[in-house]
Amino acid sequence: MTAPPKQPRASTAMQLRAGLWLLLALAVTLVCTAQFAAAGRVPLQTNLLALLPATERNPVAEEAVRRLADAAGNRAVFLVGAAEPTAAAAAARAFAATLRSADAFRQVIADIPAFDPGQLTALYVQHRFSLLAAADRAALASGAVGPADLEARLRRKLYTPFRFGLTLPPSDDPFGFSDAWLAELPLRSLRLETENGLLVSHDERRTWVLITAELSASAYDSTLQQGVAAAVAQAERALRHAHPDAVLLRAGTVFYADAARRSAEREFDLIAAGSLLGMFSLLYLVFRSLRPLALGLLAVAFGIGTAIAVTIAVYGELHLITLVFGASLIGEAIDYAVQYFAAHLGAGAGWEPLAGLRRIAPGLTLALATSLLGYGALLLAPFPALSQIALFAIAGLTAAWLSVFLLLPALLARPNRRDPAAAVSGAQTFLNWWRRRMPRRRCLLLGGLLLIAAVPGWLRLAGNDDVRLLVARPPWLVAQEEHIRALTGFGNSSQFFLVEDATPDAVLAGEEKLAARLDALVAQDRISGYQALSAFVPSQARQAENYHLWQEKVFADEGALRALFARSALRDELAEHLIASFKDSAGHALSLDEWLQSPLSTPFRHLWLGRSGPGYATIVLPQGIRDVAHLTDAAAGLAGVTLVDKAGSVSRLFRDYRQWGVLWLLGACALVYGVLCVRYGPSQAAVTLAPTLLAMGLALGAFGYADAPLTLFNLMGLMLVLGVGVNYAIFLREGGVRAAATLAGVLLSAGTTLLSFGLLAFSSMPALAGFGLTLLVGVGMAVLLAPMVLTFSAAQTACPGDAC
Amino acid sequence: MQWLLLLAAAPLLAAEADTLARIGAQIEQYGVLRADFVQTKQMAALKRPLVTSGRLVYSRRHGVLWLIEQPYRIGYVFGDERIVEIAADGTRRERGLRDVPGLAQVSRVFRALLGANTTALREVFEVSVQGDAAKWEIELKPRQAQIAQFLIGLKLSGGRFVDSIGIDEAGGDTTQLRLRNTQGASAPAEAELQLFGAEAARP
Repeated sequence: MTAPPKQPRASTAMQLRAGLWLLLALAVTLVCTAQFAAAGRVPLQTNLLALLPATERNPVAEEAVRRLADAAGNRAVFLVGAAEPTAAAAAARAFAATLRSADAFRQVIADIPAFDPGQLTALYVQHRFSLLAAADRAALASGAVGPADLEARLRRKLYTPFRFGLTLPPSDDPFGFSDAWLAELPLRSLRLETENGLLVSHDERRTWVLITAELSASAYDSTLQQGVAAAVAQAERALRHAHPDAVLLRAGTVFYADAARRSAEREFDLIAAGSLLGMFSLLYLVFRSLRPLALGLLAVAFGIGTAIAVTIAVYGELHLITLVFGASLIGEAIDYAVQYFAAHLGAGAGWEPLAGLRRIAPGLTLALATSLLGYGALLLAPFPALSQIALFAIAGLTAAWLSVFLLLPALLARPNRRDPAAAVSGAQTFLNWWRRRMPRRRCLLLGGLLLIAAVPGWLRLAGNDDVRLLVARPPWLVAQEEHIRALTGFGNSSQFFLVEDATPDAVLAGEEKLAARLDALVAQDRISGYQALSAFVPSQARQAENYHLWQEKVFADEGALRALFARSALRDELAEHLIASFKDSAGHALSLDEWLQSPLSTPFRHLWLGRSGPGYATIVLPQGIRDVAHLTDAAAGLAGVTLVDKAGSVSRLFRDYRQWGVLWLLGACALVYGVLCVRYGPSQAAVTLAPTLLAMGLALGAFGYADAPLTLFNLMGLMLVLGVGVNYAIFLREGGVRAAATLAGVLLSAGTTLLSFGLLAFSSMPALAGFGLTLLVGVGMAVLLAPMVLTFSAAQTACPGDAC
Repeated sequence: MQWLLLLAAAPLLAAEADTLARIGAQIEQYGVLRADFVQTKQMAALKRPLVTSGRLVYSRRHGVLWLIEQPYRIGYVFGDERIVEIAADGTRRERGLRDVPGLAQVSRVFRALLGANTTALREVFEVSVQGDAAKWEIELKPRQAQIAQFLIGLKLSGGRFVDSIGIDEAGGDTTQLRLRNTQGASAPAEAELQLFGAEAARP
């Protein structure tokens, strides 16, 4: 690329700039390569939790949320169903065996390890005089259990035709108090039964067999996701082949994460390809040259590359939502280059690169400033999803803007050979029509009419703050999960209680106070049950109280006990033996440590948070929640007990943001108005802003008419409409005498923006779809109304009515 | 259906399968069976065997009513969903089968034993049979280690109906059940339905 010889200094300056750009581009390429190499791939984050703001005031609660999600997240659950129980069992075992051969799973369990009742009874039998079921404790404490009741209990123990479930022999537990305690242990809160060593559930048509699989890595690791998907697909094929009538259901974080990643990658490809293709067609239609295409691509690539490098440098990873959003940023990043091309085209033979650049520079910089203002506000949001997108956009747009100043002058030095008038004839026709047909009064009338038309739409607007707006949840997967939940009783509620205190025993005592309230909720059928460590290990105070009750109500009269045993044909030595073991066990309460060391605690370890914060903490997990309000009441007034409802907190936060977002949008409008005032003065600044405000109003109205819910992400979209729409007005104003060429540029920009954000409207992530739709309507209206600026600023511009 | 299953699952001789099917069929023709029972339990903890007697009602639809009359009055209902204990004064204590691990299976096996439902029994036990449909003996050994931990095996014998059931527990305790005066009927009586309680209300 040789510059015209008559401008050696300018040429040197341009080469210097281009060299600088090349250095920067090299640096970005190197950084990106290093980042990808370090992670072994594009470091994509699929965990929704990583996107959500810290909502809990208590850091222990955030930690608990993370641990619970991890405990649930590294598991996948399958149900294999068939009409015949034996067929279901065979199909399930075969399915599990196929899965087991894959690396993706650390462990696949169909046949549950033989449950050893001995293990359970061995631990509890030595502490049995410190333990009592709730109902028995209440009955003993109230004095309702007399000698006659003890005799009836003994009789019941001996006469039962079968041993039901976990029981101790009559010699260890003649009155069934320990049996009652064992029966009350929340070992199986699920709707599953053990049959032939498998966990099964029955419905009218099928027997379902449960298979649980433990992942060999994080559910959010994309390599693992692919491994799991491949293994499950293979096992499912084998299942269909061997057992054509068997049905497979699956549930697990890994499937959602995998589906989200796949759809995000697909959408990224679609949006990137779609907007690049559309953009190139538009650019070629206007400029009839491949050079702007190549240069535009360079500017965009530099912009997106910088955005990725900066985002990964700051966050260490790229979230799916940022990736998909990033694809749509292509359409915005190319705008600056398009303005440069438009100026190049409009100047015709008189093109001189640096002079041309100087002429469009104020407009470009003002446009960048308004965009940065919009995204800058997002950057400050204490919400990783928003701030990551904002950082990505700020880095990308700044780099794209920089490309225009550094790279384009050197590479687009020669004047355009195409007849400018022919190139912009379409834009010229529209402009001429607008000038002839749209005097000020008509513009005002049009604006007024559009506003009036929008009002009924505004009145229909309703908010939606569901956290699930952020994830694409394939309906078939949701349906399978619902089915599994109905069959097994597995809950996926995100609410739990955090119980904290200075010592582990104080935590257990705190749990017991909470448990008393939760028992009431269970009795009222407000929740179906709950998991709590104190159900397995009562507090020391509670155990001492139990021992005391045994002492008072059972062992107080040893003579009566001996007589009762003799009457009931129990061997004589049994009474002595029982009395001796009661005396021996004084002071031998069950300790939390002892329980935690027993293999029995394994399925419940996630409830124990151990040392955290100033003391110790546990989780109490309610199940089958009908209304969260009851849980709030249950925690009210209990010191150290906090109800943690992450989904609820995030939704509340979304709602707050949405409500604040409206004010914040108004503030941004004022700020942009202020910036415009500096350059154009108050009344012309208002004129410049008006088409955009109108477009935003119409977009809101359209959402109301379409009964689409208003979300935080629509407001984010409006924020961007403000930035982009004002850009168009600025470009048109600044275009001045070259209005047609500028309008062509603006239409081109708008075309590319509409294309990429329009494609975003088809995203499976509701948040992004809403965002895209807002931009589609808002930007579309903003560009159509932008010529208003010319109508109202006609007096100030020197341009006469004909083509300039 | 029962045939298919028996054949499919079997290292069982065809003749045995045939006998089992006949035994099942001759009991299955009745919706309800009534009998008097005497239960003799020998337990390590007891000085002498514990003998209880009473009557039982087996209803294919509702489950089993187990009413002990001697030496104390106490009754049980073994249903699909729950086990109910009926005290001498009529108070009912219910226990959901899903609340206690293994309880559902125990209840199902108990009902299958009284109904000589060999299909259901074969899911849990290795079944072997001797004799013919007029006079037979069935031996059941648990297939699963979980059950074998507390149960060595079961012996059923009978002719038209089940006459006796023997239970050998791993701990050395044994139970002998003798059924007398067994009679078939098509539906439970009104009083029996009331005792079945909530179970009977289900369609």
